[in-house]
Amino acid sequence: MSYIIASDLNQALQILRDSKGQARVIAGATDLFLQTLPAELVDLAGLYETTQLEETGGLLSIGSAVTHASAARSLLIRSQAAALAEACAMIGSPQVRNIGTIGGNVANAAPAADAAVALVALGAKAVITDIAGQTRVEAVEELYAGYNRSTIDSSSEIIGRLLFKSCAAGEGSAFMRFAPRRALALPLVNAAARVRVSGRRIEAVRLVAAPVKPAPTRLFETEALLQEVIPGPEIWPKVEEAAAAEVEVRGSMLRCSEQYRRHLVGTLAGRVLKEAYQRACAAEGGET
Amino acid sequence: MWGKKQEQNRSERNISGCGSYQSPEVWAKVTGKAVYGIDLEFPGMLYGKILRSPHPHARIKGIDLSAARAIPGVRAVLSAQDVHCNPYGIVVDDEMPLAVDRVRYIGDEVAVVAAVDQKTAERAMAAIKVEYEPLPAVFNPVGALDEQAPQLHEDFPGNVAWERDLIRGDPDTAFREADLVVEDSFSMPSVHPAYLEPIACVAVSEYGNGVTLHTALQSPDLVRDIISRALNLSSSLVRVIGPVMGGGFGGRVFGNLKLYILSSLLSMHTGFPVKMQLTREEEFTVGRPMIAAEINLKMALRRDGTILARESEIITDNGAYSAQAPWVSKTFSERNDSVYRIPNIKTRARLAYTNKVPTAQYRAYGNQSANFACESLMDQAAKRLNMDPLELRLKNCTQAGDTTVHGLEIKSCALTKCLQRAASEIGWDQRKSGRGYGISSGIHANGSLVANKNFRGASARVTLELDGRVNVFTGEQDYGQGAHAAFACIAGRVLGLEPDQITVYSRDSLVTPFSQGALAMRQTTIGGRAVQVAAQELQKAIIQKASEISGEPVSLENGLLKNASGRLIELTEVATGYHHQTSGLNLVGEGKYVPPASDYDETSYGNISVAYSFAAHAAEVEIDKKTGAITVHRIVAVHDSGHIVNLLTSRGQVYGGVTQGLGMGCYEGYLFEGGRVANSSLADYRIPTALDVPAIDQVFIETEDPEGPFGSKGLGEIVMVPVLGAIGNAVADAAGVPVTALPLTAEKVYQAMSGGECSK
Amino acid sequence: MKKQTINFELNGELVEVHTEPSGSLLHLLRGQLGLLGTKEGCGEGECGACTVLLDSQPVNACLIPAAKIEGKQVQTIESLSNGDTIHPLQESFVEKGAVQCGFCTPGMVMSAYALLKVNQDPTPVEVKEAISGNLCRCSGYKQIEEAVLDAAEKIDQGSRED
Repeated sequence: MSYIIASDLNQALQILRDSKGQARVIAGATDLFLQTLPAELVDLAGLYETTQLEETGGLLSIGSAVTHASAARSLLIRSQAAALAEACAMIGSPQVRNIGTIGGNVANAAPAADAAVALVALGAKAVITDIAGQTRVEAVEELYAGYNRSTIDSSSEIIGRLLFKSCAAGEGSAFMRFAPRRALALPLVNAAARVRVSGRRIEAVRLVAAPVKPAPTRLFETEALLQEVIPGPEIWPKVEEAAAAEVEVRGSMLRCSEQYRRHLVGTLAGRVLKEAYQRACAAEGGET
Repeated sequence: MWGKKQEQNRSERNISGCGSYQSPEVWAKVTGKAVYGIDLEFPGMLYGKILRSPHPHARIKGIDLSAARAIPGVRAVLSAQDVHCNPYGIVVDDEMPLAVDRVRYIGDEVAVVAAVDQKTAERAMAAIKVEYEPLPAVFNPVGALDEQAPQLHEDFPGNVAWERDLIRGDPDTAFREADLVVEDSFSMPSVHPAYLEPIACVAVSEYGNGVTLHTALQSPDLVRDIISRALNLSSSLVRVIGPVMGGGFGGRVFGNLKLYILSSLLSMHTGFPVKMQLTREEEFTVGRPMIAAEINLKMALRRDGTILARESEIITDNGAYSAQAPWVSKTFSERNDSVYRIPNIKTRARLAYTNKVPTAQYRAYGNQSANFACESLMDQAAKRLNMDPLELRLKNCTQAGDTTVHGLEIKSCALTKCLQRAASEIGWDQRKSGRGYGISSGIHANGSLVANKNFRGASARVTLELDGRVNVFTGEQDYGQGAHAAFACIAGRVLGLEPDQITVYSRDSLVTPFSQGALAMRQTTIGGRAVQVAAQELQKAIIQKASEISGEPVSLENGLLKNASGRLIELTEVATGYHHQTSGLNLVGEGKYVPPASDYDETSYGNISVAYSFAAHAAEVEIDKKTGAITVHRIVAVHDSGHIVNLLTSRGQVYGGVTQGLGMGCYEGYLFEGGRVANSSLADYRIPTALDVPAIDQVFIETEDPEGPFGSKGLGEIVMVPVLGAIGNAVADAAGVPVTALPLTAEKVYQAMSGGECSK
Repeated sequence: MKKQTINFELNGELVEVHTEPSGSLLHLLRGQLGLLGTKEGCGEGECGACTVLLDSQPVNACLIPAAKIEGKQVQTIESLSNGDTIHPLQESFVEKGAVQCGFCTPGMVMSAYALLKVNQDPTPVEVKEAISGNLCRCSGYKQIEEAVLDAAEKIDQGSRED
């Protein structure tokens, strides 16, 4: 086995090309020892291109190798994409957040990856370049081929960055998880929402929960309940009910029963929407 | 939290005058220089690996070791046929080092390999071929007691590893005449001590000179005896030397005997040191967690709250082999009966063999898990009687001078004060709405006689060195709980020396006095008293020798030797004088402490221990009504452990024990899928993190116990006893309904609140 | 398996090792480099006993492929003391009773050290968060938290006196 620390994205692609399917890209590599090792590993963690965090023209661009810790700390992300900052702050432990990356969280394709759930709620798209030099841009939720299986072929494709519109005036986002312990824990359920309001009326809403399907899952029916609505206290119980009714979930001995997980999806959906809505309202009138 | 002023007051009252002294080993630990079992390396050392059964129950039809033996770098590959050992065990001899013809759980040891490095050992393991014929297995202890159940051991028909039917007084009449009978069922899963360092050992055999085992144990002398029996070696040819121990909590009283015996066998076969260590996964799957239990509990009371009788029907889950499970089951079944004045008792307890991981013990020996059940029933009774739970406890709690229903003679007891103080600290009279409050009482024996009733004390040797320093040799182990610091304080107090002038040594069975070890909360009280007596003997010897030298009477006060004419005599002068006179001997004080006649009859009635510690804990919790999620805000721990010898380490014991109780109460517990442990990692077996621990307030009510050194009693285990009951009752108070199965997960609380079935 | 040459800075010194690139940093430190102060409690990033600093950030050495440290700085517990001196954090750990069995201590000290490097005046909650990836079974964390806060105060006083 050989391990190469790439110096830039082009070199990384060149190594992949040369190795003819024998090499794979990694970044934080936190799950590396859980897997069978390929002949060659190409480390993207320190690349300039993949560690940038910037906003241009209302578009947030987050390098795929930005660590959870730096995303959680970033003032830009905290103000423009609170859900992502909150999600990144809850992953694993400080040690894991210091090496784990946002791109890795997506490419690993775990069904309840916190950052991925927030990214889907924010409407993020991944910019993926392959060894032929082709670039495709795909919604994060489209990158799941099955449980823990990504459509991204890490022997020929690289996620360069993730793109989404930053939360402008009248927009807010939030992330919440329900976990059995306050650190070092996988969530039983996590949920994220992005809401845009105008005069307290909801104009646009994205609600995502996991683990529901292999990919972070939009709850479209629940979203529809809130479209063009000025939410009053009576709406939240309905939202919770709708979210719980909308999902098919699985139970597991290690986490919780199917029935309880469904209940949690409802509860968290209500809470995270309410929070995102309140933030959107607070951000009306030019505040961001 | 501890107020500064309060803390100062307590320090001043600290009787031995060394309120925060710690053994010098602490510096090695904090700088990363301490050598633990996993750090051990010896020249020529080989690595041992164990091939384990993938089946919960199967007959071994054949084992082919030839391919493994042919791999370069492999030095030994052994199966049961290659070794000649005796069956061994802690309570009953139901284990063999390697499975003879049958495996009884997933993980059972089938073959063992020694090779020049880990990877070669792993390759050799993979090359061993074993043919199994699967047998029907039983995982549920209730099912295992069924007549039709698969039988695990020929010597234990009906899969009964241990049982007990006990009646004290006249419980049937008491139940008939009671105004109120409360009843409920509770369950507690197996729990693991989860010490942070996985068990590791290196066995070094020398031709004709037995085996030296390097491993950290709470009771090295007891383990030495078991190993020598299993290996057919004379016991003085087995020597146990301890590196620093990365946590024990009862799990390293006997540690992993299998690992010690197999590494010894490999070393004897190869002639080289052999290192073996458990992975974290193996710790969970083939370690020795504490028994799981199901208990149906009934209590009879008078209308005024007087407890008349308690009845319990208990089934505990032994797993495939017994380790300490019978003793733990016994403590589980009876210790809580002595917290209150309960005149009549009826107990039926059975320990069932199942095709699962063998079980042993964890800090407090089952007393803590039974506390959860017994104290929940107290609250249920209080509710039915429309009585304050605190008042019900105060009305019934054990007092100094009592002989309890099982014959425990309580010489000192501040349980009433502990309860009152716990209540006042938690704000019992100003309980906030929206919060749940619970209180609980506990008792724990100091050095109970359960292991060997003919060996109830301890001994120590204290020597005066030529430089005037003092060495204490003891068999009592220190793994950070502060036993050695306490001994230095105790000996120092007798001899008038500062604790840092005293070195305490315990880690070599060839050199240090035999001891029962760090179990049953006996070290400070019993071991400490032996050190005190030995130090007094040394003091006498010093005075006598000094009188001889100076030719007139001598006194030893505050570390200063003075003769009648007022001349100061240096300790070095006495030590050297004696040394020269005897051509090399040191002045020695040997001391023993044998607690006053404590004994028990065939029903176990009797005063099983020299002293009893008491505690009351109170908890304040909040429940998210939507999800059932529990937030524990505060735990108050009030302890009667007699005089506190070392405040700093005592506080550490309380913080740590309460946190382990929190873990067991809210997070931890084995999950099985068939016979397989489903949560065999620290990710899935969740112990509390720094963010999970609530505020913990602690108070010591210092009684004067007639037996402990300077009136002190044990602390290390009782710290984890009442916290289970306190949290359970606080959760029940907040939820409005008791949750009767540990751990109290959000899901169980939610189900209980919504009237679901999942609370059990 | 093919070995690779890796150059990095270990406790302030440049070192070159020839090792299996996919072996873990933990095994490199404990095995080839003989630095046994970094402990292994689980090997899966779930306990924090192997916490070291990688370019000043606390990480689980058991999760880092050895080759990843090429050109980087690694700092272990061994760097904080020598025969004569000891870091104020270590002093506070001892004084406050934060060390029981001691197995989590090196990792715990490294997490706390990383915190105090970027935050000289942490709140109790910040301390809890900083050590939330380090499991301790003995202490209930209380005396560890006291020790970190105490060390912060000591360091602050020390710097004012300088």
